[in-house]
Amino acid sequence: MKATRVFQLTALALVVVSAVQVGWWLFDQHAYTVEKVSAARAAYAEQVAAAQALLDSGAAPARVQQLLPGIVVSGGHASLAPQLAEALTTEEHRRYRQYAWEGSFFMLALAACIAVIARALREEAHVREQQDSFLALVSHQFKTPLASLQLSLETLALRAPGPEAARPLIDRMLADVARMEQMVTQILESARLERGRVDLKSEPLQLAAAVARVTAQLEERARRERITLSSDIAPTLTVVSDPLALDVVVRNVLENALAAVKSAGGGRITLSARASEREVELLVSDSGVGFAPAESARLFQKFSRLRGGASGYYGTGLGLYIVRRLMELAGGRVSAQSDGLGKGASVRLTWPAVAVSAAAMPQPAAGEESRP
Amino acid sequence: MSATLPPPHVLVVEDDPHLAAGVMENLRAEGYEVTAAPDGEQALDWLAGHGCALVVLDVMLPGADGLAVCRTLRARGNTTPVLFLTARGDPADRVRGLEAGGDDYLAKPFHLQEFLLRVRAILRRWDWYRSASATSATAVLRFGGNEVDFRAFRARAWNGEAQELTEKEAMILKVLAEHAGEIVSREDLLERVWGYDVFPSTRTVDNFILRLRKRFEKDPANPRHFLTVWGVGYRFLGEGEP
Repeated sequence: MKATRVFQLTALALVVVSAVQVGWWLFDQHAYTVEKVSAARAAYAEQVAAAQALLDSGAAPARVQQLLPGIVVSGGHASLAPQLAEALTTEEHRRYRQYAWEGSFFMLALAACIAVIARALREEAHVREQQDSFLALVSHQFKTPLASLQLSLETLALRAPGPEAARPLIDRMLADVARMEQMVTQILESARLERGRVDLKSEPLQLAAAVARVTAQLEERARRERITLSSDIAPTLTVVSDPLALDVVVRNVLENALAAVKSAGGGRITLSARASEREVELLVSDSGVGFAPAESARLFQKFSRLRGGASGYYGTGLGLYIVRRLMELAGGRVSAQSDGLGKGASVRLTWPAVAVSAAAMPQPAAGEESRP
Repeated sequence: MSATLPPPHVLVVEDDPHLAAGVMENLRAEGYEVTAAPDGEQALDWLAGHGCALVVLDVMLPGADGLAVCRTLRARGNTTPVLFLTARGDPADRVRGLEAGGDDYLAKPFHLQEFLLRVRAILRRWDWYRSASATSATAVLRFGGNEVDFRAFRARAWNGEAQELTEKEAMILKVLAEHAGEIVSREDLLERVWGYDVFPSTRTVDNFILRLRKRFEKDPANPRHFLTVWGVGYRFLGEGEP
């Protein structure tokens, strides 16, 4: 990293010096041409004066023209041959044109070099800045479960509670470890998405099947937390996405909704979908704690966590960021809406509609059966 | 803590439920009465109607952060001691916490025993301060035309100017007045007023003495009450230097 930077800065300095050099060269060439042209004009004027003096002293015009071939004599007056004067002017203009073209070409090329290097330097500074703030945020996110884990362990060591009293402490520690593990997974996932280093497939998938898969995994938890999960999605609705990415997107949105409803002490989550000519839309609405409408954009940023209720929320602040990135990569988008704190919220996932191709469209029934 | 007194009440303001539960269980096990608040607003609401001996305050809270909560508390004239808990522990952050009116600062993850020790130390300092200002004779200090009310954290200076004292200024003045005429070292002042290792240097004490001189000396450049004993510390003279 450091060697690259030194190289870039050296290159930048060299290019700037070259630009100054080209400027100086242009100035110098121009001055030289001006000097040469005026010297040539002066020499021609001397020839004309000499020819006139010869004529005035009675020399034959033919003899004068023979001695000074660049002079024409007419009616006893010596003057410079028009083709010579013209040739001088033509040469003068040709040189100025040449400098203008060459100068602008080199200047443009050098300016392009400077722009490229400056851009690279700026981008690198931006990346470094982002990495720093990312590291600061990540370490901060880890310190809370770590502190909780340490506190539980030291409580066990200090108070040596019986098995009965130790149970909640152990449960808490296991949950803290799970929380940190989830963070590591999500951080790696988001880092891969960030660099675009993901190999996403694009295949037509049944939205209803993906939603059914994810809700089946979360149903037990929802029941425990007094949350009703219901979905009404037509089996014909199809989106083009990576199968794993689709599951991650639906799961993260649902987990977010579960946390929001849990904080409100229970409630319901409904999933519905509809299709227009151009888009397929999945709407996840919950009766949870909601958020201030002004915060809807911040929701999908990295490490943004909204206030939880009394029961708290263990989010890593990466779940919805991952949703946004995956949706963008699938050519879709995501948005969230709430009427305010305590008023529930809804998340809208939108995919571009599948270009209708009978071969690519899975048959609803067949699609279901072929799934293992 | 005598057996006849009710146990000190501690308010724990922490948004992480696990950490809050761990802190509260341990404080209860030590005999404190504990109340929890998951965010700054609820903490301020509770404090508006209740008193407590100590607030354990997380810095990174949803909504208003811990520093803002502490500043609001102080602006309301509430002098309840505050122990900050934070995920950031660099010196600049510590200073910010103490400037906001905090008494002590602990970086996460912290050691349980150290946490309990600090809680005890803060409560002991305030116990001492309150009991040392309990009688009408000890609640008010008069010197060189100045009058200091330790219970109200207010003073009237020799020139008639009303002064609001910070808790630290009042505590320093209390320590010095208790040992009037004697030399008190900077380390003693740090230990009595701040506890251990909160501030990086004893220079902090010097700054507070300068502030006290500005408030109460007729000529702060030639102090007659707050005298420097070079290389050792300070001596307070109630009558003024002859």
